[in-house]
Amino acid sequence: MTTPVLMPTIEQLADRLLQGQTLLDQSDDHLLEVVGVLESYGVVLNAYSINLIFQAERQFLNPFPVFRFFDGDLNLGKWWRHVTHDRINFEYAEYCQKAMLWHATGGMDAYFDSEAFKANCAAIVRAKGRDPLLAVLNPLFPNFIPELIRSAATTHALGQFWRVMSDLFLDLAAAERDGRVRTIADVVEFIKQGLVAAAANPITYAVTIGAEQFWVLPPEAGLSFLADVAVPYVEAVFLRGMPFLGTVSFNAQAQAISHDQSQFAYGALYADPLPTMGAGIPPSLLMQDMYRHLPQALHDWYRQRTRGEGDVHVKICMSFQKSMFCVTNAAINGTMPHPLDSGDAQQQAANRAYAQSWATRLAAGRTDCLAAT
Amino acid sequence: MMLSPLLLIPFLGALGLSLWPGNPGPDQVRRGALVVLGLQLAWSLWVLAGFDPALSGMQMGESLDWVQSLGLSYRLGVDGLSMPLLLVNAGLTFVSAFASGSVSQKPKLYFALLLLISGAVNGAFLAQNLLLFFLFYELELIPLWLLISVWGGANRAYAATKFLIFTAVSGMLILGAFLGLALVTGQVDFSLTPVLSQQLGMGTQLILMGALLIGFGIKIPLFPFHTWLPDAHTEASTPVSVLLAGVLLKLGTYGLLRFCLGLFPDAWARMGPYLAIWAAISVLYGSLAAIAQRDMKRMVAYSSVGHMGYVLLAAAAATPVSLLGAVFQMVTHGLISALLFLLVGVVYRTTGTRDLEVLRGLLNPQRGLPLTGSLMIMGVMASAGLPGMAGFISEFLVFRGSLEAYPLPTLLSMVGSGLTAVYFLLLVNRAFFGRLAIQSALPATTPTGQRIAPIDVQLPSVPLLEQLPSLVLTALIVLVGLVPGGLAQLGEATTTAMAQMPELVAAIASGSLIS
Amino acid sequence: MTPALPLPLQFAWLIPLYGFSGVVLSLPWAAGWIKRNGPRPAAYLNLLATLLAFVHGSVAMREVFLTGPQALSFEWLQVADLHLAISLDLSPTNLIALELVTSLSLLGQFFGLGYLDKELSLARFYALVGFFEGAMSGVVISGSLFISYFLLEMLTLSTYLLVGFWYAQPLVVTAARDAFLTKRVGDVLLLMAVVALSAWAGGMDFNHLYEWAASGSLSPLAATLLGLGLIAGPTGKCAQFPMHLWLDEAMEGPNPASILRNSVVVTCGALVLLKVMPILQQSPVATSVLLTIGSISALGGSLVSIAQVDMKRAFSYTTTSYMGLVFIAIALQLPSLALLLLFAHAVAKALLMMSVGSVIATTNCQDITELGGLGGRMPATTGAYLVAGAGLTGLLPLGCFWCFGLATDVLAQQAPLFAAVFLITNALMAWNLTRVYRQVFLGAPQPKTKRAPEVNWQMALPMVALSVVVVLTPALLTKLNPVPGINSFSPAVAAAVIGSSAAGGLVACLLPVHKSYARSLLKPVRFLQDLLAFDFYTDRVYRLTIVNLVSGMARLTNWVDQVVVNGFVNRLGRFSLVSADGLKLSVSGQTQTYVLTALIAVVLLLASLNLVFG
Repeated sequence: MTTPVLMPTIEQLADRLLQGQTLLDQSDDHLLEVVGVLESYGVVLNAYSINLIFQAERQFLNPFPVFRFFDGDLNLGKWWRHVTHDRINFEYAEYCQKAMLWHATGGMDAYFDSEAFKANCAAIVRAKGRDPLLAVLNPLFPNFIPELIRSAATTHALGQFWRVMSDLFLDLAAAERDGRVRTIADVVEFIKQGLVAAAANPITYAVTIGAEQFWVLPPEAGLSFLADVAVPYVEAVFLRGMPFLGTVSFNAQAQAISHDQSQFAYGALYADPLPTMGAGIPPSLLMQDMYRHLPQALHDWYRQRTRGEGDVHVKICMSFQKSMFCVTNAAINGTMPHPLDSGDAQQQAANRAYAQSWATRLAAGRTDCLAAT
Repeated sequence: MMLSPLLLIPFLGALGLSLWPGNPGPDQVRRGALVVLGLQLAWSLWVLAGFDPALSGMQMGESLDWVQSLGLSYRLGVDGLSMPLLLVNAGLTFVSAFASGSVSQKPKLYFALLLLISGAVNGAFLAQNLLLFFLFYELELIPLWLLISVWGGANRAYAATKFLIFTAVSGMLILGAFLGLALVTGQVDFSLTPVLSQQLGMGTQLILMGALLIGFGIKIPLFPFHTWLPDAHTEASTPVSVLLAGVLLKLGTYGLLRFCLGLFPDAWARMGPYLAIWAAISVLYGSLAAIAQRDMKRMVAYSSVGHMGYVLLAAAAATPVSLLGAVFQMVTHGLISALLFLLVGVVYRTTGTRDLEVLRGLLNPQRGLPLTGSLMIMGVMASAGLPGMAGFISEFLVFRGSLEAYPLPTLLSMVGSGLTAVYFLLLVNRAFFGRLAIQSALPATTPTGQRIAPIDVQLPSVPLLEQLPSLVLTALIVLVGLVPGGLAQLGEATTTAMAQMPELVAAIASGSLIS
Repeated sequence: MTPALPLPLQFAWLIPLYGFSGVVLSLPWAAGWIKRNGPRPAAYLNLLATLLAFVHGSVAMREVFLTGPQALSFEWLQVADLHLAISLDLSPTNLIALELVTSLSLLGQFFGLGYLDKELSLARFYALVGFFEGAMSGVVISGSLFISYFLLEMLTLSTYLLVGFWYAQPLVVTAARDAFLTKRVGDVLLLMAVVALSAWAGGMDFNHLYEWAASGSLSPLAATLLGLGLIAGPTGKCAQFPMHLWLDEAMEGPNPASILRNSVVVTCGALVLLKVMPILQQSPVATSVLLTIGSISALGGSLVSIAQVDMKRAFSYTTTSYMGLVFIAIALQLPSLALLLLFAHAVAKALLMMSVGSVIATTNCQDITELGGLGGRMPATTGAYLVAGAGLTGLLPLGCFWCFGLATDVLAQQAPLFAAVFLITNALMAWNLTRVYRQVFLGAPQPKTKRAPEVNWQMALPMVALSVVVVLTPALLTKLNPVPGINSFSPAVAAAVIGSSAAGGLVACLLPVHKSYARSLLKPVRFLQDLLAFDFYTDRVYRLTIVNLVSGMARLTNWVDQVVVNGFVNRLGRFSLVSADGLKLSVSGQTQTYVLTALIAVVLLLASLNLVFG
């Protein structure tokens, strides 16, 4: 019998957030894991981002996007690599995009329901009217094209979001090599600074049909990086997630899945790393992608532990969960209503309420990964 | 001199290992034993190459007078019944030694005992003299008893003693029957010949055959003489279990076919209906008892009780097809039970438990035992008689051969085959499906409401080399299942002749063949 | 083998092997030998193998249409009086069924590329589907009962493994177990019949068995028992009452496998029944049992399906009911009708399950009460649903319209009661389809359907392709060449078929749509709702009866074993020479004891020998 490992309570987590402590304990191993795994994640996100933006811009409303993962580069070598599956699993990027679209939260989703967006769609449909397939389908299924455009818009926005995150994570790795980042607190601070810097970046999306450009997400919509993409992304991917076929029954009578999506807890901060690479566990795709781009030091560190190469994906997933707690930590710190050292009682109360609300959600997650071993 | 090397190689090998100068490491000794066993396997295949499957009688006979006054002579021979079993013995002893990598205590003695057992089993399968058979039959007991009592689990003393007493009784009954046969026929020569019993009255025949039947029934084992087996298996180490289930139980079924059926065809035919019922009871009893087990090893052990019942059924029917089925079942059960014990051994070594109430999700690809799990699924499906694997064709031959003679016991035995699927599916679904766990789940929260982390399972990895025997056995099981012709050819002539023996013997007795 | 046979027929034995080869081809990825690259090549290789099987099958079919049916036979095992041969019966019917299997397998696998695009265990899935397809291809062209049994059992195994694909999911654990055991019960009963036939009739080729059965050498009791055994296997395979439970639970498995399971796997079971029918004719009891099972399944399955809130299950139960109709047709000696129905059902049901799969993929939800308003946004999915629905009911002149028309026409005179069963099943199916359509595709979007773009092209393309096939079904059915032609029924019958469909649809339109798991406030209605929703509580009935019986007997046996048998041995041990202490001797002590015992034994042996021969 192993002794039970206790997980931190809501109060403990809230206190950490308010006292400016990191959620993840400081240790050399943690630093190696978090920076290393974020570096490989940065490499993978780079590829995801490029592809998502390519799909949204160049495969827009293509009914048979057979070569959508080729980034427009149809050479024989690339073709061979795709056939042999020697490539990034872009399907995981699409999975995250679907999760974002489906959970339908945040400013971008609100814009999808606006009259302005409908007008944009109508213009695009008119321009695409020459396409015979669309000409037949559109009158019969009037919401078909707009829904695809919403999907494309989410794809593009996620591509833009990951562009920033990819650069940020690769910069983080460089900073750690330079010695600018030496602790977990430094990591959290670095990511926070990056998020804050990008927070107000505008999110826009236009498509070219023929020679004409059409706005899907115009600048006037006023969509910004942090509030309209990053926050819904965290909500959809880190927190809520989507149920894994490999661990939850979809049987309606069994009622294993809540009918209220806001009650979902299948996201990255909640998921069980143990079944990674098992059947029906979609994040395995990401773990496989990161596995192919692990920094040498981290790879060696994994090789020396438990089953070495044998269970490396599980270990990557565990490190990834730690790093995602750091990113969440940075996001919470960056969006704290008031400075933590504020003496004002009202501001303190507002901070406490904010921290408390986050701690409540996080405490139900896999916080057992936070302790240094 | 084709057959004597099958005794000389292991016996001299055992001698050599025990006389190994200095203090060789366990791995060195194991390699030495593997060389000897490899030689034995090669020689067995050489014998196979020289074996003529078209002949029904004994081949490659060797004869040497020994203690003539006691009727003990050194006479060896091989036929379609013993040939497959020689191969099973050679193969599985090799597997057993291969799987003995974790033996560290007294390696010289351990491997010498393994070789001794293998040689003795060869001797028993080859012996053409009743006393010689008995000597080899007894010779194999002592080493096995030592293997359980020295290298066994916590409760090994009880299990080893139980094994010893049961098999000693078995030996006494067999010896008693042999002596009785000599006494009443007045013949000092203990050579194997069915005509011997013809001179006896049915009552005498039944008594002598009954003693043999119970003697071998203990060894097989048949209900209600089986209780030594689950205990022996639970306490024995994995390689010993492989040997016990795969090879040693076959001495019982071999004895049943060779001596009960072979020496007393009349009495056997008389007892047939009761034997078939006994077989069905044994099959159902073993299967039902297996369902109730929560120790994986005990479950496999009880399944042996059930599956050896098929051999009794086939022997009771004694048709050409059923007897060939019996040979198939002996070989198949040897392969499958060896595979299952190996896999259970891997589970036990890595997780430290065999408890089906505790083990979960071992198919987990990275932290679990995915290869073991996949092979386990193959193994249990083979055991449950799924087509495409060896178990099916054996069961089909047994059932097909026995149905007309004993319809009801055969149908009941088929129900037992269905029950095999039940308990083995429970085993796979419990231990291998679900979220990985090797101990009982912790509560979600402490009494004060604080969350408790799910257990992170870390098992040692299993090197592929260690799984090699299981892979080979699985391949053999599929091979026999898909291409049963070879094995059938090997045994057919002999089993057909055995099935016709009652008529033949009757004809000889009535003198119709003499004129 | 006749050398004159054209090559595609000579090598027809390869067709099942294409599927099986998928297992071997997938192994490097499934076993994890290839670590750096993903598993997709395994999927591509399986698709290629299936395509090969399809093409080979088409060529073989053309040859058979030209040269007439052929048979192939290879010796497998011959001992004493037992001859087991691998016989293939290359008849037009069998080859059409083969093409059905391979084409639906091809489309299902293609669909799987999209449905399982975020699945990293793809290689294992495709290996299993390859195995599945190989076994099915073998069953449909098998010319021997032994081979059919052999392959049906392999189907059972692959069903178990496919349902168990997501082995870590809690409900999968029980679902896979129940799927295997239920089918296994049927299989063991079938094995009894197979063994009996082998013993009594000698050869196992169907033609030989027909001759033997016609010779009437069987007692009525034996014929009945044999018939029941032969029925049991297909009953399990076709998910007929009372062995239907597994199909519901099997819906825990991946959707692409569900597509095949609901269309071609059940068809394989029914084809085996069709092939053993001439043997069953010897037993009136077996025929009556078949009719009873078929009718209960047809009506019970339809009723249960109407009460389901799970989209997959709502239609898996209709598979039970349609196979019930096939059972009735087979029992009433209407093999060509059974074939038409099997074909029409298989393509339309496969399409319906694809549509269901794409709804699940888009919404992450199978609960129809949480769905709504998908119609305007998912053209391929909606279109597939509508076409499949039309193909399964008698409202429009697609596949099942003609089948139901023929059936009603023939049965109206022969057995009007069963004509009514056909029409009622049709009406209930129309009710069910309309009910689900209103709930899922019409109405306002619900939270889980707020954003629902059409599925990816790997799923959409096979759906569209199969929709076209379903629309063309009547043309394909005429190719199946039933004797009087598929339109040989009166306008009155056509009106009855259309009317029953319309009535069913109308009832569904008039009833209110439930938007959450609603139960009626009226107690009797609620009771009925629950009774049907929980499938007549069949699982509980099983648990109370057979499961309890087996586990009770197991516990009893274990008790007898521990207390009686083992207890007796232990007591005996205590009273005998070896005292209780003797059992606990240390190892060294034991060695001495043994040496002593052995010595005594040897002395006794020598003494007795001297006594005897002295």
